Amino acid sequence: MRRRGAVQTLAAGAALLAGGVLPYGLSTILAPGRAVAERNYLRPPGAPLDDDAFVAACIGCGLCGEVCPPRCIFFHTRDGGGEVNTPYVDAGKRGCTLCGKCMEVCPTSALSIVPRNEINMGLAHIDRTACYPWVDRGICGACATICPLGAKAISFEFANIYRPVVRKGCVGCGLCVEVCPHPSTPIWIDPSARAINTASEA
Amino acid sequence: MTTRKPFFLWRHLNKLRWLSLSLVFAMLILLPCLHVYQTYVAAHAYDLLAPSEKQFYDVMESLTVPFIDDPAEDLDVVKGNTWSGNFWGLKLSDPLAVLGQMAAGLSLYWPFILTALIPVLVTMLFGRVFCGWICPANFLYELNSNVAAWLQWAGLRTGVRRFDRRIKYAVLGLGLVLSVFSGSILVAAIYPPAIVGRELYYAIAQGGFGVGMVFFVATLLFDLLVARRGFCRYLCPGGALYSLLGRYHPVRMRRLVENCNDCRKCNAVCEFALAPMTDGFGQECTNCTACIAVCPTDALTFDIRLFDHPEQGPGHLGRRYRREQEEPDNPPSEEAA
Repeated sequence: MRRRGAVQTLAAGAALLAGGVLPYGLSTILAPGRAVAERNYLRPPGAPLDDDAFVAACIGCGLCGEVCPPRCIFFHTRDGGGEVNTPYVDAGKRGCTLCGKCMEVCPTSALSIVPRNEINMGLAHIDRTACYPWVDRGICGACATICPLGAKAISFEFANIYRPVVRKGCVGCGLCVEVCPHPSTPIWIDPSARAINTASEA
Repeated sequence: MTTRKPFFLWRHLNKLRWLSLSLVFAMLILLPCLHVYQTYVAAHAYDLLAPSEKQFYDVMESLTVPFIDDPAEDLDVVKGNTWSGNFWGLKLSDPLAVLGQMAAGLSLYWPFILTALIPVLVTMLFGRVFCGWICPANFLYELNSNVAAWLQWAGLRTGVRRFDRRIKYAVLGLGLVLSVFSGSILVAAIYPPAIVGRELYYAIAQGGFGVGMVFFVATLLFDLLVARRGFCRYLCPGGALYSLLGRYHPVRMRRLVENCNDCRKCNAVCEFALAPMTDGFGQECTNCTACIAVCPTDALTFDIRLFDHPEQGPGHLGRRYRREQEEPDNPPSEEAA
């Protein structure tokens, strides 16, 4: 009788454990790996290049989001599998102002403090077949005007004051994406270009 | 032997505890609201806000204006939740967060590990006080067990099953091992205080609850329908860690056998179904002091010792003790002083 009781207890414990890890399992099955769009989905500034290292270091406390003045840091609340509760910046919604508060507040090594010019969230790309000045459909310059790093990150093509060109100093903050007036936002941030950014600096 | 009385204020600690729990919960709601207010301030666009947002802005402004000059900067001094927070420059983290991160990253990052130092020291001194006094999930779970009591009063059956308390240590161990293999902090996904803290933040500042809320509601139903306070007692990985850290906490509850009349009210009121009346506190005790508050004869108090007092037998004001005293033929269960 006692043995049966122990077996029942063990079975119940195993069932409860299975129930406990169920949310993770389901989220992994339903949203494996990178289910989110690559474009404009950035990690907050100061994140390590290796995204696995970022996910391992982030405890999901939400502090970076809670200090962000433009509220540009969102969290994988329902998507993201193993990345659940980790922060991201969706440049299509709101760009980062490079204020650095998130790097200062992060208790872990997920976000480390780096100088403003050396932040590396990605690299902006401009689709020259859609951008208004590039297809001669008007004058704009919104991206170059808003850029917090100025002419070393984005400036105009030689002898044309409205066609924007991304320079080496771009850190991928995404403010240009936020302000781009074109409905299809021909400027976007490519987070996979972070490795290239680092290589060109070295 | 003179009868000892516990210090009179200790009867009121339970009220202080409810105040503490309510304050923590209120802060978890207020801080995200203040964050949203700060973003409105930083945007310098009051005129562009929707009418409801303007109302929200005005309420937050009237709440904070007596205390601060510059909302965008001054409100940053208190941020975060019980999982990890920042109080006037003092960074505090849950020990489980540190342990989980060490497991997930297989590395030591000392600035982060040190943020758990104060919670660990407090736990080693006072035991599972986080669970009883601070945990925002405990606040909801205790209200939930009150709901269960009402349901029972109305004649409905609620969960009274008991399991093995050691299951939660297995949950902790398994969670950490799986964190090592998956490379992300899995224990955070099933740890109710972390879930409550961030889900409140998501609901207020991120536009809706996340997946953790489903899990939390499931634990509420588990407590209601299967086992009273079942998640905390049998499954919570953080509770397991706090129990282990506070195993030899020197400040613990003690029964004064001279004052006890064996009424069993303390056993009934104990949220974790411990047995204060038979000196059974152990590492699970959260020092919540509910038993002190309910005791009609002042028989429970604090004591400074590393282990629980061995069982002291029936209370001296009770019928059983008197019977044993009057009939010396019947050997008393223990030589009570």
